[in-house]
Amino acid sequence: MKNKLFEKYFVFTPYFWLVLFFFIPLAIIFKISISVSEWGMPPYQEIILFNDGFKINTTFENYVYIFTDYYYIGSFINSLILALISTFFCLLIGFPLAFYIATSKIRLRNILLVLVIIPFWSSFLLRVYAWKIILQNNGLLNSMLINLGITSEPFQLLYNQYAVIMGIVYTYLPLMILPLYGYLNKFDLNLIEASKDLGLNRFKTFFKVILPLSVPGIVAGSLLVFIPVVGEFIIPEMLGGSDRLYYGKILWEEFFVNRNWPGASALAFSGIIILVLPIVIFQILYSRWSQKNEI
Amino acid sequence: MDKNFLVIENISKSFGENKVLENINLNISRSEFFGLLGSSGSGKTTLLRILGGFEKPDTGRVILDGVDITNLEPFDRPLNYMFQSYALFPHLNVFNNLAFGIKENFSNKEIETKVKDIAALLSIENLLNRRIKQLSGGEQQRIALGRCLIKQPKLLLLDEPLAALDKKLRSKTQLELTTLQKKLKITFVFVTHDQEEAMSLSDRMAIMKNGLILECSSPEKIYENPKSLYTANFIGIANIIEIYKKDENFYSDDLDINFKLNKELKNTKTNILLRPEKIKIQSSNNSNINSFNSFYGDILEKSYLGSFTRYEIKINNKIISVLDQNFNSNSNYNFPIGGKVVCSWEKESIKILED
Repeated sequence: MKNKLFEKYFVFTPYFWLVLFFFIPLAIIFKISISVSEWGMPPYQEIILFNDGFKINTTFENYVYIFTDYYYIGSFINSLILALISTFFCLLIGFPLAFYIATSKIRLRNILLVLVIIPFWSSFLLRVYAWKIILQNNGLLNSMLINLGITSEPFQLLYNQYAVIMGIVYTYLPLMILPLYGYLNKFDLNLIEASKDLGLNRFKTFFKVILPLSVPGIVAGSLLVFIPVVGEFIIPEMLGGSDRLYYGKILWEEFFVNRNWPGASALAFSGIIILVLPIVIFQILYSRWSQKNEI
Repeated sequence: MDKNFLVIENISKSFGENKVLENINLNISRSEFFGLLGSSGSGKTTLLRILGGFEKPDTGRVILDGVDITNLEPFDRPLNYMFQSYALFPHLNVFNNLAFGIKENFSNKEIETKVKDIAALLSIENLLNRRIKQLSGGEQQRIALGRCLIKQPKLLLLDEPLAALDKKLRSKTQLELTTLQKKLKITFVFVTHDQEEAMSLSDRMAIMKNGLILECSSPEKIYENPKSLYTANFIGIANIIEIYKKDENFYSDDLDINFKLNKELKNTKTNILLRPEKIKIQSSNNSNINSFNSFYGDILEKSYLGSFTRYEIKINNKIISVLDQNFNSNSNYNFPIGGKVVCSWEKESIKILED
């Protein structure tokens, strides 16, 4: 009887997980976002007051504020563009790598996979900091270029959006390669040969056979890179300059510098909704499409 | 008939240390149905892949219809390859799988006509809108065939074309494949490990072993008159007996009987082949044995195969297989296990193996 009950409710484990670690925190953030801010600890008022009778003490001012000030919207758009560009480059570099790994002999394949995973064994902060050392004006790359006589003045490689994109692509590349590899691993190489045999050259074979059949892997890898990059704070902070503001940075400042918890919460909540809603819709449409096409 | 339609010249191929093909030479005629038969590791699939352009040979040339195609990419070769797994595109329906190779060169209307024609030829008109996953093995085989034939190739290469089908479907498809090939007059070269398949499909076939071609001839000649011990054992059931010259005749120690041959022997000692259906089996009550080419034996085992009964007959320590045709409707005609019988054969049925 007990076992049966366990079996019956076991299927709800992922939902339980989702509620506990996603919906409840989200609800707390939402609650804070509609509270009135105050100088104190915590720096907001309760939303239900009982001191002189029952009173609901909420405000949507924060939402009005962030959606009317371009400072917030602009930084969010910057982050979306950054995420799009980074995902594109991760895909551009990751796809050939994943394909090569998936089609190489088993011994080489295992070595290559370990090489992809190895960076995860060192601290993320340390790796980003290492890039700072490589790219700075008296850093490794610039001194090499000067010594080789390619340039006399050091290039400004650090503190711009290109350094940020590079850092993100470097850091998130394994997150693109691994799901892609997992999918391409199952790819029937005979299909490529069949396509060539039927008269399509390498280029056409790629677009008519390899690419359409890799869509699930590409979607999985891209979402895994895109979503966290939108909220990325550390890499733009360390490698980026003051030329561009990103969503993660605004959130940090609102929360820790301005101590405006309700404002920061409104920002976080809006960000999640704006990001998650289209992705959920996309996933539903995509799963319908892939079911129809049986990929 | 163009005897040198496909010329395979001195082809060798190694993968690292492993020599897969050694100096292969073959001439295949136009419109021939040619089989490459061998066990796994014989190099037959590598040879087919070299013809398809998926592997480059270390040495040698492939000449198709007078053109050296050795260094051409698969997509530049006027031939098609049917994969053992069929390699149908799962993201396309049957129509688009069939049209895959002709999409570039023809208008939509022409493509439609061509697909309809090929579908009619293979009787798959009702499948055109299906997805690949909704097809049975036999249907997939037809689509794979149609996808190649729609390109009107000069040469069609087939890798184990029937291996993925169940037994009943296989014999039906065998017949269809030969009929189709004779009708279209396209040269077919196929690879198989199944000797029955090779025999029933091929006009000529090559027996491969360890990267070498042992024999190349028609199935009849290879079955009736194999040159080597390996071929004799590989094709059909074989009784192999070692004989040596003794006085005027030949003698076998194993059977303790004399043999008379219809031709002279170069060596004093040799292996001979006696096919099981060439041996006549009679009850020991109403027949006597001759002084040569016959023996008394005990039936050790028998298996009823419908049109034939196979007997394993023990003489001394040797077991001889005999196939006896069941032309008598009376089942009592069969000999019982443990019974004594007389086996005999014509001297013409004895085939001398060269090595």
